[in-house]
Amino acid sequence: MITSKSLLLMLTALMIFSNEVIAEAERAAPEASAEIGEQDKYASIRENLKTCFTCHGDNGQSKLGTFPILAGQEFYYMYVQLKDMKTGLRESQVMGPIVANIEKADLKLLAMFFSEQKWPETSYEINAKQSARGQRVIDEGGCTACHLATLKGNSRIPRLANQHPEYLKNTMHDFRNEVRNNAPAMASLLKTYTDEDIDAIANYLGSFKE
Amino acid sequence: MNNKKQGGSGTLMKVGLASLLMTVGAHNVLAGEEVSGGSLFGDMQTVTQDLLDRAAGDSNNFLHTNANYEQTRFYPAQQVNRENVHNLERAWTFKMDVVDSLETTPIVINGTMFVTSSFNHVYALDAKTGKQKWHYEHEMGLITTYCCGPNNRGVAALDDMVYMGTLDARLVALDAKTGKKMWDVEIADPELGYSETMSPTIVNGKVLIGTNGGEYGIRGFVKAFDAKTGALLWTFHSIPEDSTGVWAENDATGLYMHRDIKAEKAALKKLGDPYKTLGGGVWQNMAIDRDANRAYFVVGNPSPDLYGAVRPGDNLYTNSLVAVDLDSGEKICHFQYIAHDVWDLDAVSPPILVPVKNEDGQTVKGVLHGGKTGYVYVHNASDCSLIRYSEPMVMQRDRWVLPTKEGASMLPGANGGVEWSPMATDPSQGLVYAANIHQPMTYHVEETPYPGGKLWLGGAFKVITDQQQWGNITAVDYNTGKIKWKVKTHQPMIGGVLATAGGLVFAGEGNGLFKAYNSTSGELMWQDQTEAGVNAPPASYNVDGEQYVVVGSGGNAQMNYTRGNEIIAYKLNKK
Repeated sequence: MITSKSLLLMLTALMIFSNEVIAEAERAAPEASAEIGEQDKYASIRENLKTCFTCHGDNGQSKLGTFPILAGQEFYYMYVQLKDMKTGLRESQVMGPIVANIEKADLKLLAMFFSEQKWPETSYEINAKQSARGQRVIDEGGCTACHLATLKGNSRIPRLANQHPEYLKNTMHDFRNEVRNNAPAMASLLKTYTDEDIDAIANYLGSFKE
Repeated sequence: MNNKKQGGSGTLMKVGLASLLMTVGAHNVLAGEEVSGGSLFGDMQTVTQDLLDRAAGDSNNFLHTNANYEQTRFYPAQQVNRENVHNLERAWTFKMDVVDSLETTPIVINGTMFVTSSFNHVYALDAKTGKQKWHYEHEMGLITTYCCGPNNRGVAALDDMVYMGTLDARLVALDAKTGKKMWDVEIADPELGYSETMSPTIVNGKVLIGTNGGEYGIRGFVKAFDAKTGALLWTFHSIPEDSTGVWAENDATGLYMHRDIKAEKAALKKLGDPYKTLGGGVWQNMAIDRDANRAYFVVGNPSPDLYGAVRPGDNLYTNSLVAVDLDSGEKICHFQYIAHDVWDLDAVSPPILVPVKNEDGQTVKGVLHGGKTGYVYVHNASDCSLIRYSEPMVMQRDRWVLPTKEGASMLPGANGGVEWSPMATDPSQGLVYAANIHQPMTYHVEETPYPGGKLWLGGAFKVITDQQQWGNITAVDYNTGKIKWKVKTHQPMIGGVLATAGGLVFAGEGNGLFKAYNSTSGELMWQDQTEAGVNAPPASYNVDGEQYVVVGSGGNAQMNYTRGNEIIAYKLNKK
């Protein structure tokens, strides 16, 4: 039963709560309006981004196995890749013409934009036996020394954990076959691996969850 | 400052290098005299040069990441000893914010501990309780270039400041009381492969620091910065403009290295001196001889690691012990262990200054270095010359077989022997204790031009995973080179050693065990199971009359040992 005393207490509590909410809103308000007034730092690349989203998915959260997830990937890694695609150090029939006419400053912005997005949840069909073998193959190569224990990379080193296995497999073959020539240490290492090793690594990396 | 007497039965005493020279063989001198901290060290609220100089005999504080300027990692307190070490228990555990590779050594100043984690976090803790006083997180630049883990090995202190090198190659000075950043200067350009993981060394108002980057084609150095302002005072290039050397065919132990000198000379004529991208990082602390005003350090591998054709010559001063003058940074002497290295078996473990017997049995100032080759090298400090090398501490197989495209198998593997792990000594016993690795690898070579700041190995190293790996702690008599004892461990050892006047040696393992051994016999006397790899060098200190032993349990990126985030302090259970 609600007595008049308890009702008074509840109203008082509600008023205090409301006042706090209002005060919080007032504190936040100047920042919010400032944000609205700020220039879009990505204005110069908005059109480019639409092109990117076509293959790499909205905000880089790619759902297509051959196109890597860019959302949440490391900024500096992506910036270096874009530069290398522009110079041809990393050959790509698709990406080469796209980045050819984009200035370095905008390449940097593109990398920044994608690095600020959220890596999507993934669910790949994984061969458990291959995945277990992949862990051992990764130990052989000392991969976690650079890609870190989480295999999420840092700065210059890309995130591998739950990237599309199909893309990972393709790019490892590109390293090995000297199609991708912009990371010589990776190429040297992958030349020591068999097709089965590469399949195993791709399965293992795909087995990670966010 | 309270007047309570601090420390256990061994408290404060003067044991510099000069006095050690006078007292070799006298074990009990290390027990020292008991004096009031206040009378000898003032209020101990700030770290004076005098305090840093006396660190070897200070059993209250732990003032340098390798214990003292001589880097003996011998701690003079003996409250925890062979008789009671079985009563050693956890006093407190502090969990840091970052769960990743932990190679840090805490320093302790008047009851406050300063300790770092991966990605350059610094914590000030109450050393008695583990309670946090402040926490500093470095605002990391967007570009970092490092291999082998986002490690940091600790801070150095002077006056009211602590100093840290960062992964984005900066030197940061913090207010020791608050953690507030006082200044922050660039050491080198991270985009070109420079990064910092070592603790600085501070002497005479100078902050000395080297660099990582031997896997990225940097040009290595040691730099001295003004501790007050961060101004650069001098730079010693660990790669001279003439890096050719004497075309040495054998290594320091006399073993032939299969160099094609004729081809190298032709390449030198065609390519010129490769000094600009030759590597030669200096990424471990230097030992300081205050009397001679010198710094001794070791220089790492040449770039690229495995492909030597683009870097003809001995590649000076890679894989060398080097001494420089502290005022000018000018080179005084060097000794190269492996000329034109193509195996990454470089010089990494920090050198130790200790009196040693020379070939004639006379006691001289000596320098010890534990090599990735698995040998302890003993030098005459005056001219860096080699007096002797020890018996091998790990298995040797086909050493200096040249790398091939398909992969050549050789022991030791590229991690050693002794990796960066600092050794410890017990000067009273004439012993040095080394943490060793047995990890078979294949060495693959591939022609690789300079890739502009990217990882530049010139091939690949691969661990042979179906061959057994192990490690050991080895005690070497540095006056004879003979192995006195060796204890095998289940996993390769990385992290470092601490010896104490309590007759103990402490070392951790990748499986999370932290152990104490009898320093004379190697007998296992105590162990504790932690949750991650114990791959950080242990330290010790006293607060309110109780001796603590402290170590990080956070695993290791290089060896892929289980990661964690704990700093664990132990003391005796008095029950």
